[in-house]
Amino acid sequence: MKPGTRLKSAACDTEVMVIRSADGQIECGGSPMGETKPAEPAPLAADFSAGTLMGKRYVDSDGKYELLCVKPGKGSLGVDGAALVVKDAKPLPASD
Amino acid sequence: MPTERAFPGPAIPLARWADRQIKAMAATHVSAAISVLDGATLMGERSAGYRINGRISAGLGGSHLMPTRDGGWFALTLIRDVDRELLPALFGNADIEALDWDTIAAAVLQHDCADLVATGRALGLPVASADEKPASPPVEMMLRGEWRERPAGHRPLVIDMSAIWAGPLAGHLLWQAGMTVVKVESRSRPDLIRRDDPATFERINQGKASLLVDFASDTEKAALIALIRRADVVIESSRPRALRHLGIDAELLVREVPGLVWLSVTGHGASGDAANWVGIGNDCGVAGGLSRAMADVSGEIGYVGDAIADPLTGIIAAREGLDAYRSGLAQRIGLSMSAVTAMALAEERAHDRAAIDAELRAWGTATGCPFPPQVRPRVLQAQVRPVGADTTRYLGEFARC
Repeated sequence: MKPGTRLKSAACDTEVMVIRSADGQIECGGSPMGETKPAEPAPLAADFSAGTLMGKRYVDSDGKYELLCVKPGKGSLGVDGAALVVKDAKPLPASD
Repeated sequence: MPTERAFPGPAIPLARWADRQIKAMAATHVSAAISVLDGATLMGERSAGYRINGRISAGLGGSHLMPTRDGGWFALTLIRDVDRELLPALFGNADIEALDWDTIAAAVLQHDCADLVATGRALGLPVASADEKPASPPVEMMLRGEWRERPAGHRPLVIDMSAIWAGPLAGHLLWQAGMTVVKVESRSRPDLIRRDDPATFERINQGKASLLVDFASDTEKAALIALIRRADVVIESSRPRALRHLGIDAELLVREVPGLVWLSVTGHGASGDAANWVGIGNDCGVAGGLSRAMADVSGEIGYVGDAIADPLTGIIAAREGLDAYRSGLAQRIGLSMSAVTAMALAEERAHDRAAIDAELRAWGTATGCPFPPQVRPRVLQAQVRPVGADTTRYLGEFARC
């Protein structure tokens, strides 16, 4: 998946921008994310329903994947069934 | 090769506009301390000794203006290491090891300007196009609350949570106007300008009390919110989600605290999508149309002044804050650095088109020259408090209430 690609959740409102990725399947709410939304929303998997937070960066444990949440939703992010976690981001000022 | 030119350097464009704002503020609020300030000093004291640097921002050179595939000009400011990790996403290319500006400029040239700006803003990068129109009004009345009557001789309390230049300058001007100003910094992330430009830090934060707050501590956050509820003015420059993460609800506080004036000093506006965009003084000057205006009259595109949107916005924020405080009505006011720059340019053109065009022309053809050497930094008038020195005095006391 090319960095800069915008992916949409099939199960909720979440949208992310890909910062770094490998060959695995990026998911939200337990379903694969895509550049377009499916006509029928996918069910939200209970294990992936913790929600996403606007502006947070999400990573896997190996540092192969990094996604930036550009629109929050009810699902949570994963790759091949493994949950991503929030990268320890510092709050940034909007202006100087 | 840039060549040295004769003394003196060109005047900083828009300094006369800034000066008129200061004089109007001093007259309305009868402040002798403000009346002796002048626009050229507030805009130029930081950059005394800088050189005009064309398409690279003056001073640290953190912002570059680069041509795009479609003939536009794209400004990118890279002053935070975390932002560099986002460059592959900005350019849609995992192979870009964009650590030097030549590589970045080559990548910029492969994209259209509007796409880079849209992607950059979604990524939270400080970016701008020389040809954009500011997304927000310069000064936006976002919310009004209740009126508070203040006793005669009341000394207003300002909580300044902003960082770097625009917001702290607003706080500095309110201090000059006689208010008590408390600067609040995060324990984990103090104001960057302490490290990057200590002399400027001292000038615009002198006389302010200094508090350090651990935003991971519920007790300290509660104490800060209690302090805000006793304050007259709040200045902050956070994106909405950052403020929420800090546990601070600006709208609720403005609704609940009569007379509380809340100044949100932002790059591109405090409401809607633009509230999530990041803007820094140099790229906001570009977004405000100043670089394009200079190119139109001089044939040379580049940065005008030094982080010019910062001092312009700091001055307007202070003026709006003083007016709002005097009205007694609680209100939240959003300030957009890019739109304030555009407003200053439009007003200056209306005031004296020939003069501003001449200044922009002089600036555009002066690459390599020193900034105006006639501008002298002010000497300090008050103590600069050690970081965190007043935390217990303000938060300890209120935490027990």
